[in-house]
Amino acid sequence: MYQYDAIDQQLVKERVDQFRDQTQRYLNKELSEQEYLPLRLQNGLYVQRYAPMLRIAIPYGMLSSTQLRKLADISRRYDRGYGHFSTRQNLQLNWPKLETVPDILDELAEVEMHAVQTSGNCIRNTTTDQYAGVIADEVVDPRPYCELIRQWSTFHPEFAFLPRKFKIAVNATESSDRAAIQVHDIGLQIKKNAEGEIGFKVIVGGGLGRTPMIGRTICEFVPRAHLLSYLEAILRVYNQFGNRQNKYKARIKILTKALGIEELRSRVEAEWQHLKGKENTVPDAEFDRLQGFFTEPDYKTLTDQPTELTEKLSQSAGFARWYERNTFTHKKSGYRIVTLTLKKAGIAPGDATAEQMDKAADLADKYSFGELRVSHEQNLVLADVEQSQLVELWEAAKEAGFATPSLGLLTDMICCPGGDFCALANAKSIPIAQQIQEKFSDLDYLYDIGELDLNISGCMNACGHHHVGNLGILGVDKKGEEFYQVSIGGNSGHDANIGKILGPSFAEEEIADVIEKIISVYLDNRTQEEKFIDTYQRLGITPFKEAAYAKDN
Amino acid sequence: MQKIIKDGVIVESDLVWISNSETLADTSADTLKKAIVPLSAWLEMEDKGQVAGIWLESDENTDQLAGKNISALSVIGVHFPAFADGRGFTHARLLRERFGYKGEIRALGNFIPDQLGYLLRVGFSAFQFADEVNLEKALQLHKPFSVAYQSDVADPRPLFLRR
Repeated sequence: MYQYDAIDQQLVKERVDQFRDQTQRYLNKELSEQEYLPLRLQNGLYVQRYAPMLRIAIPYGMLSSTQLRKLADISRRYDRGYGHFSTRQNLQLNWPKLETVPDILDELAEVEMHAVQTSGNCIRNTTTDQYAGVIADEVVDPRPYCELIRQWSTFHPEFAFLPRKFKIAVNATESSDRAAIQVHDIGLQIKKNAEGEIGFKVIVGGGLGRTPMIGRTICEFVPRAHLLSYLEAILRVYNQFGNRQNKYKARIKILTKALGIEELRSRVEAEWQHLKGKENTVPDAEFDRLQGFFTEPDYKTLTDQPTELTEKLSQSAGFARWYERNTFTHKKSGYRIVTLTLKKAGIAPGDATAEQMDKAADLADKYSFGELRVSHEQNLVLADVEQSQLVELWEAAKEAGFATPSLGLLTDMICCPGGDFCALANAKSIPIAQQIQEKFSDLDYLYDIGELDLNISGCMNACGHHHVGNLGILGVDKKGEEFYQVSIGGNSGHDANIGKILGPSFAEEEIADVIEKIISVYLDNRTQEEKFIDTYQRLGITPFKEAAYAKDN
Repeated sequence: MQKIIKDGVIVESDLVWISNSETLADTSADTLKKAIVPLSAWLEMEDKGQVAGIWLESDENTDQLAGKNISALSVIGVHFPAFADGRGFTHARLLRERFGYKGEIRALGNFIPDQLGYLLRVGFSAFQFADEVNLEKALQLHKPFSVAYQSDVADPRPLFLRR
């Protein structure tokens, strides 16, 4: 994975010193609340409902075991012994003390980590596929490109006070899109042109929040050498013309809609003509240098499906289930990608205790070259596990609560922290997730239902990505009481789609029953091949709506 | 006289920032020679050399300067109605990189000392802070980080061309 050089280290250090000084001046009342606000946000620090929240960047999801142990250690000493992995490859600490945050950042810098630009109206952490570099069908490894974008966007002097936050995601496979690039401010699909040159399809103006939109293609192919000048052109147009009057209309998706994609494209092209071919043109040598950080680990020559694996698969239904759901095909024979799920029933999705973090770090050291990834679905991934060691790993993962064999199934929910933690939330989201997990705790039932994304957000800011869940649940406030709106038919990935609202919202205690009624329409009507989303697309919303609002008697 | 930070030191500026076009009609020719006038007013003037400088509002655009002789101006101001309004960063950068303006670019209005590092990198050379700002303290923040990844006005080469 990427390793800091003296310059990276120097920058992070100067940033921590700067923030320590800013925090000191804030505490001395030399900096006003209003002035300190964007400064702390650009260092990942929110002031939340009960305590500050610190969002630590995990650039494009890559994490070493040393870093994860440090996070565990920090969560123990500065927080309440756990952290929350978010949907954008960050780790959130929910209870740090404001005055200790500079110390936390100092300690993070020791292991090449930071919280730079994880919040605020600036370019955020660049995200990508959690399987980057270990799957067979990617065009190229996206991580060197993510690192290029990380460096370009970090402390960019022109784009630190944008109209609103700005999120970039990169995907490198045709077969799927685990980075959800169509719902980002900029989504980059790596591809090769007819001449075999590497470049990017650039999608702009996607996003969730209160006005969910699927991004539009602004350029079919930007050669990789010109990526930074093209990004700079988009950001410059956005910085000048994005709405600054109303924060709810300030994302680039609204500008894209207001101008129309053709006008936006022509403005970006005009700006690009000034920038293209100048100093921001990236030489091949730089791509090679960055690629050098993401070389393959020392793989052994192994064969697929060793007897240790096949025997256990035939003997243990539980192991077979876990293997089927929670592991994924590796590009190297004899290896497998393993997801350690953070979706145990009764625990907030994405939450990990300090003990679990330490345990995951141990498992990474023992089974996966000491590296982990954090996924958009709020799980941890061991990318390089020998198939012959899967049984052993499964046993260890079960013990640590990482082996709920539900990846991609209904209970593998995406869920924001909600009203239990977040000052913005209208309603709690974690108890809703728990209610559903309890209702669908029977694994045979869960497997029979099959693949289904269920996403929960506690307010219309949509951190739980409810719009793109096959089923989405949104917390709403009605005269001080918490209600939940259900949407159906959303989809992320290459077929991204915004779900439709089913109808009037439901009371908290009704939710799991409503979900069950909707699921039963699917179970009664599906053809053999159909996933939930397919049946929905064939039948339309009506039968699901009728079932959800049907009186019980 | 207005105290400002210019080229890294606190100095007295004898230039007068005319923040409102309406007061311009009453301004004498002598005062105009020392005035920083609104861009829109300047564009309407027949004798564009009669003022010391012009200033842009954040929602104006440097495109309006195309074809104009701005090199004769001793100051171009960029106004920040609020410090979170980042359009001025782009204006300054374009003035330097696209229009090749070499004179003083002065930040005006409600920007804050903690933005100095970025303001310097996009080409600002002078800072006329809001009255309540302590310039001595602001001066302590008058430096960017010692290294940078990107190209900027100080050095157009991104780090990958400097390694």
